[in-house]
Amino acid sequence: MSSYAPSPLLLEAAGLGKRYGGVVANDGIDIHLDKGHVLGVIGPNGAGKSTLIGLLGGAIRPSAGTIRFQGEDITGLPASERARRGIGRTYQIPRPFLDMTVADNLAVGQFAVAPLDSAAAAERERRQILERCDLADVADVKAKDLPLLRRKRLEVARALALKPKLLLLDEVGAGLIDSEVSDLIALIRSLQDGQRAIIIIEHMIRIVKECCEDLLVINFGKVLTRGRTAEVLASDEVSAVYLGTSHGGAAKPPRAAAPEPAAAASSATKPLLVLDAVSAGYGQARVINDLSLSAAPGQVVGVLGPNGAGKTTLAHVISRALPVTAGRIRFDGEDITDLPAYAVAARGIAHCMEGRHIFASLSVEENLLVAARQVDAAERRLRLGRVFALFPVLAERRKAGGTSMSGGQQQALAIGRALMAKPRLAIFDEISLGLAPVMMDRLYEALAALKREGLTMLVVEQDVERALDLADAAYIINKGRITLSGPAAVVRHDERLRHLYFGTEE
Amino acid sequence: MKMLSTPSNAATTLIDKRSVVGTIIVAAAFALVIAAPAFLSTYLVEIGFKLMLYIVLAEAWNLLAGYGGLVSLGTSSFFGLGAYVSVGLLNYLGAGLPLALCASALAGMTLALVMSRGLFRLRGLHFTVGTLALAEALRLFVVNVPWFGGATGLFVTLDLPDTPELFRVAALLLALTTAIISVATTSRFSVLLRAIRDDEDAASQVGVRAFRTKLAAFMVASGLVAAAGGLQAAKLGAIEPYGSFGLQWSVDALAIVIIGGLGMRRGAVVGGLFFVAIGELLADYPELHVALTGVILILLIRFAPQGLCGLAEALLARRAAERRLLTEGKS
Repeated sequence: MSSYAPSPLLLEAAGLGKRYGGVVANDGIDIHLDKGHVLGVIGPNGAGKSTLIGLLGGAIRPSAGTIRFQGEDITGLPASERARRGIGRTYQIPRPFLDMTVADNLAVGQFAVAPLDSAAAAERERRQILERCDLADVADVKAKDLPLLRRKRLEVARALALKPKLLLLDEVGAGLIDSEVSDLIALIRSLQDGQRAIIIIEHMIRIVKECCEDLLVINFGKVLTRGRTAEVLASDEVSAVYLGTSHGGAAKPPRAAAPEPAAAASSATKPLLVLDAVSAGYGQARVINDLSLSAAPGQVVGVLGPNGAGKTTLAHVISRALPVTAGRIRFDGEDITDLPAYAVAARGIAHCMEGRHIFASLSVEENLLVAARQVDAAERRLRLGRVFALFPVLAERRKAGGTSMSGGQQQALAIGRALMAKPRLAIFDEISLGLAPVMMDRLYEALAALKREGLTMLVVEQDVERALDLADAAYIINKGRITLSGPAAVVRHDERLRHLYFGTEE
Repeated sequence: MKMLSTPSNAATTLIDKRSVVGTIIVAAAFALVIAAPAFLSTYLVEIGFKLMLYIVLAEAWNLLAGYGGLVSLGTSSFFGLGAYVSVGLLNYLGAGLPLALCASALAGMTLALVMSRGLFRLRGLHFTVGTLALAEALRLFVVNVPWFGGATGLFVTLDLPDTPELFRVAALLLALTTAIISVATTSRFSVLLRAIRDDEDAASQVGVRAFRTKLAAFMVASGLVAAAGGLQAAKLGAIEPYGSFGLQWSVDALAIVIIGGLGMRRGAVVGGLFFVAIGELLADYPELHVALTGVILILLIRFAPQGLCGLAEALLARRAAERRLLTEGKS
C-alpha cells in the first residue's frame, strides 16, 4: 500500500444500465460519491430509483457500466460480497427475517461479516442500534409481529448492523409524521461522521432538503438533472416531472378551502356507517378502545393520528378482517359485527389496505378483475374503463405482473382494485405512502373526483393537510381513543392536532 | 436473545451455570442409556434402537427444513448410500462397524457436496422435487448396475454385533447427533441459517454467503443420515434397494418432525417418541397405523402447525399470562 497514491473515491459508478428485455430501467447513470457526503435521488414513481439501489447493492446485475467501491471493481460481485465490503441497503417494501426476533435480525449481518467478534460487543452494538432506531422495546419480538412502519425502521437498523461505509436508504421516511421525520433526520445526520456516504431515495421532500447536499433526479431511467439540493428543487423542470403543485419550492401556495360538506348531511340522513363503542386488538394487546364513529352517505371522513395510534386496526375492524372484543358495527342500518370479511365486502365495503397487498402472481388486469367477479361482462368492462381512465398507467401495463410495477403504480393498482367492487364505502389506508409528490396530487385528484360522485370514504392518512383538504369530517386518534373529532375545517385549527403531530404532546 | 435485556455479565454466568448442569444431566442420561441393554427386555432394546435411529433422521431433517428452509425428500438417498457403503466395507475390506459408519458418513457428505451445485439452484418446492429425484435416481442406479446385487441386494457376510451392542452404537450416534445439531441450532451459524430460511435475498444483502451456509447444513445432515443408514444395514444384515432407498425413510423423518415441531429444538425427540409409540401400540393393525398417523398429521397441521412442542409452548405461555394477570389483579 503506497501512502502517496490519492485515496480512491468511495463509490464510482459509470454508465450504469439495466434492461429487462425491451424495457430500460436504468440507462447511463454515473455516480461519484466520496466519504462524508449524502446524495439524494429523487424522481417520479417508476423512474428506476429502486433499480439503481438494486444495482449498487448487488441484488440486480447491471447490463452495462461498472461500479468501483474503494477503488475495487465490484461490478461482478454478488450482494453478499458487497455487503461484506461495506454496502448496506434497505428494501422499500420491508423484507425482515419474519420468524426471527428483531435483535436476531440485526445479529445476522454482524455474524455474517464478523463471525469472531465477542458476543458482548456485538450485543452492545445491537442495543445501541436498536435504541437509535427506536426499536429497543421490541428487541425480543418476532419481526412478523411488527407493523409496517416499525418494519421500515428495522430495515434501517439491519443495514446499520453491517457498519456500512455506503448506506443505501430506499424510502425509509414514507408514512412518518412530522415529529418522526425529525427523529429520522437526526438519525441520518448522526451517521454523517465523515467515515461513510449515504444515498437516500426519498419522496419526503423535507428529508431531502435537510439531509442531502446534492441531488440526482432520475426520470425514465436516465439522469434528468443533478446539482446542489436547493438549486435542483427550485428548477422548473423538476417541478414539472416530480414535485407537482404541493411543494412549490419553499412556501406552499394557499389552497382552496375544503368544499363545505353537503349542508347538514350528517344530521338529516341516516348514517351509512356507525361504530358504537368498539374495542379490538391482537392477542393480549388492546389497540383500539371504546371507539365510536359515524359516516353519513357521501361524506369523506379523515382518520388522523400518530403511528401506532390504531388507525390501521380501525380500518381492519370496519372491513371485518379483525374481530372486535366489544361494541357493535352497523352498515346501512344492518349489524355487521359478526359477519365475515367477504360478506362485508359483498355489502359494499371496499378496503384498500396499507402496504398495497397486490397479488404478485396475477397481472394488473387480473388484479382488478378479482374484485369484480360477480357482475356481468359489460359492467366489468365499464368499471375497468373507469379505473383505466383514472390511472392511465394501469392500462399501459395491464398485462404486466402485479408487483413488477413501481411502488406508485402498485398503489394506483390497489386503489383501482378497491374501486372495481363499486363500493358504497371505500376505506383508503395510507395510500400516499411512498409516492412522489406529483403522484400524490394525482391520487388525491382522483379521490376528489370520487367524492364529487358521492362515494362515501374513510381516509386514513399521515399527510394532515391533504387529508383535511379532502375530508368533510375528521377524527384524531391517539393511543386507540378518539381525542378530537369534528368538521375538517374546525379540526384543522385545533391546537391539540398540532401538539399531537409536531411532537409537543402534553 | 433474552440476553439483550439483562446485563451481559449476569447473562453469561447464568448461561454457564445452566450449561454445566445441562451437560451433567445429559452425560448421566447417556451413561444410563449405554447401560440400559443390561437390564431392559429384548423387546425394549429393539424399540430403543429403532427410536434412536428415527431421532437421528429427524434431527437431521429438522436442521435442513426447520432451520434452513430446505425441505428435502432425499433422506432416503443418503440413508441408502450409507447402507451400501457400510455393507461394502464390512464385506470386502473386513472393516469394523465404527470404521464402516464413519466411511458412510463421509460418503453422505461427499454426495451432498457433489449434488449441492445442482440442488441449490432450485429453491422452495423445486428443491424438494430435486431431492426426491435424487433418491429415485440412486435407487434405479443400484438396481440396474451389476455390482450391488441388483434388486435382491447384498448380505453381510461377517458376524455382526448383537442387538445390545448395536443399541450402544446407536446411542453413541444419537449423542453425536444431539451435540452437533445443538451447536448448529443455537450458535451464530443458526442465525445465518434461519435468515436464509426466512429470506435468502435479504440475507445475502447483509453479507450472508447463502451457498456455503446451506452447504454446511446439508453436509452435516447428510453425513448423519448416511451413518444411520449404515447402522440400520448392520442391524438387518441384508439390504436391498427398495428398502434402503425407500421413500418411507424420507416421509417418516418428515412426519416425525411435523408431529414434534418443525424448527423447534426438541421437535425431533418429541415427535420420534410419539411416532414410535403409536407404531408399537398399533403394531398389530398396520393399516390402522398408517391411517391414524395421517389423521394425526392433518389434525396437527390444522390446529398446531408448530407441532406438539409448539402446542406445549403456547399452553405454557397462556398459563404464564394468566398467572401474571392474576397477580396484577391482586396488587
